[in-house]
Amino acid sequence: MVKKQVIPGCITLVLSLVTAIGSTTFLGPCVHEDGSVGACHWAGRALLGLGLLLAVLSLLAVLLRRARGGLYLSIAVTCILGMLTPGTLISLCKMSSMHCRAVMQPAMILLFAAAGTAAVCGAAASMRKEKGRV
Amino acid sequence: MKILPLSMKNLRRKPGRTAVLVLLTAFLAMAVFGGSVVVLSLRTGLRNLEARLGADIILVPSEAQSKVSFQNMFLQGTTGAFYMDASVADKAMEVPGVEKTAPQTFLASLKADCCSIRIQVIGIDQNRDFTVQPWIARSLTGQLGDMDVAVGCEVEAGIGEIIRIYEQRCRVVARLEPTGTGLDTAVYCSMQTMDTLLAAAEAKGISHKISSGDDSVVSAVYVKVKDGYDIDTVNTALTGKLRKVTAVRTRSMITGVSDSLAGISRTVSVLIGVIWLLAFIILLLAYILSIKERSREFAVLRMIGASAKMLGRLTLFESGICGCIGGLAGTGAAAVGALSFSALIGSSLGLPYLLPDIGTILLLAAGTVLLTAAVSALASAFAAWRLSRIHPGTALREGN
Repeated sequence: MVKKQVIPGCITLVLSLVTAIGSTTFLGPCVHEDGSVGACHWAGRALLGLGLLLAVLSLLAVLLRRARGGLYLSIAVTCILGMLTPGTLISLCKMSSMHCRAVMQPAMILLFAAAGTAAVCGAAASMRKEKGRV
Repeated sequence: MKILPLSMKNLRRKPGRTAVLVLLTAFLAMAVFGGSVVVLSLRTGLRNLEARLGADIILVPSEAQSKVSFQNMFLQGTTGAFYMDASVADKAMEVPGVEKTAPQTFLASLKADCCSIRIQVIGIDQNRDFTVQPWIARSLTGQLGDMDVAVGCEVEAGIGEIIRIYEQRCRVVARLEPTGTGLDTAVYCSMQTMDTLLAAAEAKGISHKISSGDDSVVSAVYVKVKDGYDIDTVNTALTGKLRKVTAVRTRSMITGVSDSLAGISRTVSVLIGVIWLLAFIILLLAYILSIKERSREFAVLRMIGASAKMLGRLTLFESGICGCIGGLAGTGAAAVGALSFSALIGSSLGLPYLLPDIGTILLLAAGTVLLTAAVSALASAFAAWRLSRIHPGTALREGN
């Protein structure tokens, strides 16, 4: 029974670490030839921040038994924010073949979507357990 | 006895076995759907490239072939800036069989404010052009005005938006339909706008091989051959008449792409075939072992009144359900990957890559799910046939 509530937290933790590390490496924004920074650079920074926030929340969800349901819900909301960040909340380069649009945006949307789904499952399992206690 | 609820209960009772069967079929579906989308996208890209080029022959300076492959410029969007005398367009008209010529001037922008890479700016002579104008006309009535640009579909700028090239504000007035090639990343403008952009580049201290107001050079001349004339003969005549100019037959360029495409299609088909064969054998073995393991369960079912035919149907139902779930999961995963990363796949292949329309994709997905379910049921059919031949008494004794 405990496993059902902890496993989603472990999944979101791994996914958030991939997001955070990816946003500065292989899933990061475009690298400009002249060293200047464009809009997608700031989207990459925001994704790094969201990834780290998600990692902390996931770790807390794994460790703290009593606040698990609420933590999972906050992870789900953060994931929605993460999915909207590249392209909607922060603009990217204006060419769809660029790295930020071809790799960073779809990869981040998929990672946050997967983490969000896991978080919703975790929240549902936690709430079922709480209901059982009552 | 109702078969479907019993099948569902059996599958739920052994989650490990069900998961393995679902994973195997999902793998099958992923291979078929993913491979088919890639091959179809390459075919669609080639068809659109053929339609977009419009010309029969393209004249480029000889240096273009060595400096930056002309084909690469089209297919991968590599920027190129090569020039030849503008009189080439008029001289080409003197060759028998040439119907019309359309000169174009290329300019590799330093870096547009939109992107971190260079973009190809192409200046067209609007009075003579017959290659780009018909495509621009689909979203713009009239001609490109001063500082107006038409952008390829990969430049994410809507109509009416301003993009800055060399600090010059250019208004987007048309967006061209996708071709799946480097043409999608180009920006088209009139020769007048090109002059302004060149002047802006000069003001920034960036030197190009041409200067503003210099209309004596062009980068490429598109040639349309009159009906009834052999394109190869005209091509040879153009090569003979024009010095330091290479005449490229668009058909030969497309044939090169088509050959690469055929090679990729063959490889993908062979891979899909091998994966299917292996997965089919694994599924067959899995069902045979599974039936053997469940021989006592089936014997008990026979003893309480289930016929051999009914048990066969039960096995087929179970495998069909696993096939459907696996097919849906595999097709869904492949669709998410192929659709989300289509730009990346296209640029990695270096060939015209354009996703087919949504109707075709949905049809392909439905076909894949059905095929996976059918193959899964077929793999279990042999096991079901073996099951029908075993006497319940023998099965129970063997179990003991």
